[in-house]
Amino acid sequence: MWKQPWGYAEGWTISFGLFLTGVILQVTTGKVDATLFQYPLNAIVGGVFLFFLVMLYVVSRKAAALQWFYSLTASITSLTAWMVLVIIMGLTQQVAPSATATHGGLLSGLGFMQMTSSWPFLLLFLYFISVLGLVTIHKISRFRWKDIPFLLNHAGLFITLLAAVLGNGDLQRLRMTATLDNPEWRATDDAGQMTELPLAIELKSFTIDEYPPKLLAIDNTTGKALPEGNPENLLVEESLLSGSLLDWDIEVTRSLPMAACVRTVDTMNFVAFHSEGATTALLVKARHKTDGTEKSGWVSCGSFMFPYVSLPLSDSVSLVMPELEPKRFASEVTVYTKSGERADALIEVNKPLSMDGWKIYQLSYDEAKGKWSSTSIFELVKDPWLPVVYIGILMILLGSVCLFVLAPGNKQSPKAVNDTKTE
Amino acid sequence: MGSIMDWSHFIYFALPAVACWSVGAVMAYRPNKYGQVLLWTILGLAVFMAFIVGMWLSLERPPLRTMGETRLWYSFFLPVAEIITYMRWRYKWILSFSTVLSFVFICINLFKPEIHNKTLMPALQSPWFAPHVIVYMFAYAMLGAAAVVAVYLLFRSRKKAIDPDVMSLCDNLVYVGTAFLTIGMLFGALWAKEAWGHYWSWDPKETWAAATWLGNLLYIHFRLHRYLQYKAALGLLVFAFILLQVCWFGVNYLPSAQGNSVHTYNIE
Repeated sequence: MWKQPWGYAEGWTISFGLFLTGVILQVTTGKVDATLFQYPLNAIVGGVFLFFLVMLYVVSRKAAALQWFYSLTASITSLTAWMVLVIIMGLTQQVAPSATATHGGLLSGLGFMQMTSSWPFLLLFLYFISVLGLVTIHKISRFRWKDIPFLLNHAGLFITLLAAVLGNGDLQRLRMTATLDNPEWRATDDAGQMTELPLAIELKSFTIDEYPPKLLAIDNTTGKALPEGNPENLLVEESLLSGSLLDWDIEVTRSLPMAACVRTVDTMNFVAFHSEGATTALLVKARHKTDGTEKSGWVSCGSFMFPYVSLPLSDSVSLVMPELEPKRFASEVTVYTKSGERADALIEVNKPLSMDGWKIYQLSYDEAKGKWSSTSIFELVKDPWLPVVYIGILMILLGSVCLFVLAPGNKQSPKAVNDTKTE
Repeated sequence: MGSIMDWSHFIYFALPAVACWSVGAVMAYRPNKYGQVLLWTILGLAVFMAFIVGMWLSLERPPLRTMGETRLWYSFFLPVAEIITYMRWRYKWILSFSTVLSFVFICINLFKPEIHNKTLMPALQSPWFAPHVIVYMFAYAMLGAAAVVAVYLLFRSRKKAIDPDVMSLCDNLVYVGTAFLTIGMLFGALWAKEAWGHYWSWDPKETWAAATWLGNLLYIHFRLHRYLQYKAALGLLVFAFILLQVCWFGVNYLPSAQGNSVHTYNIE
């Protein structure tokens, strides 16, 4: 080992050495604290790293030993080492990087429960991205047009990973709870720290559109939907409907999408009610297919004002309406910025609003009140490095198209042309 | 409005489609039947697609949410992947192979149908949804085909030397599969930025997608380096496919992934 030219043995040794160093750092200093890694420090470190790689490459033209770092064996071993940690990560329950892992013994001691902020992961990632960077510089320094697909893939991945890692320190994700007609400019981060933002959001209205109600049968003792394992349900799309569920013919005779429950000592009725707190209720007639037993009554999913009502079909089975599933959440807002800009917008899941470098997402609402919620919770994200990441992603996308179009076909590939070590 | 089509109609589309693909596969072994091969295969695909379209219309959402629905696309894309491979490299056996594989997935859907569920949570209502999953299913089909070829070659290698031409078939399938895997992953990242605020969050499904991707890159790089070590390369190919299986449905069962994935939609 360590005789020129280097091969796999050296590659595995370097990987294992880095892993071991990582473990020692992890045990002695704890997880990687990246909170201070913000602009301009991250940009400087990124610049120094690039400069270091270019210098390493320049020196390697004279020092053969360094040429190994952009060989296929270096690529293969660094890629494998990092992949092994990704697999371990997939097999280990992860806790949020900001939390403290208190259980898990050895796994948390090695940092595996917070893999992305552990030293072994960081060092092996650094090794992987350094090799990737050197490979890219090597190709650029002897550029030929046919290397374009290679460069799109390798440089694209390098740019994406580097910008994603460096930009992580500048990534801000805040949560803002806005109440109707009150402009709000304060938001909290993951740790609960309050921040004042350069923009304010005023909630004009919040709406939830729901899917039509469903009926399903549950076991009275376990509460599980039947048949267990593969529950059946009946979607009540039309106001009046007949269908079947288990051994019962179900007929919906009245449907009140907006209803209030009116109860006396011994009766219960639902009436139309178009105001805050309304629930959905269905008057259902059920008839057993074989023994002809008939049951009828109201079924409702309830709301924060009205109770949930089920219809017992037998001693063991009841007919229930689970809470209606949301189809769409939307907040109508007016956003004001410090620079005096003002925008009216509709923010929905999957349709964030971009404003002043921030993206505003629909995150949640007052779940206890459901569709009658008078608050809306937004997530505000600022990621100044995003354009760089997107350039990288675009390059890889183009590179992938090349990979598809130019799949090697049946040509006999020349053996190990790119490697310093051939046999 | 009642549903036009549901899983109970699947058999009337699936079996004729498999019949068409089988005729196409047989034609591949007859001389000068290239046109017929294409015709029958495409006819089968059209029949199968008719069911997918019917489901799409009656669900009023793309049928891509549940495992059964993704298997539907997988059964469709296997023959698509193979007819492209056939047109490009003319491997005769590949069509019979894809027909059998597709039939296996059809059988799973026939014998274990899932409930017909129209609801689609808001996070999935995005123009990225269909391309993300469809591109992934195509990648899975290619890599699945490559893995089966690899197992077959490894199994037979005790008696017969591995044919370098079949090795290049594996390479081609992996290159195309990896290209689509990459595109599917990046579409997912772009979508995640719109839906969840960040393009990558090491969600269990994402972690396994990364592992799968690295596994296939490993195969590609190893082939460039040790071109003649066929068995080791094939071993890597099978390994990468195991990672893919974990990513596709294994994460639904992994204890480490319980309750913290944004990618579990089919568990009610």
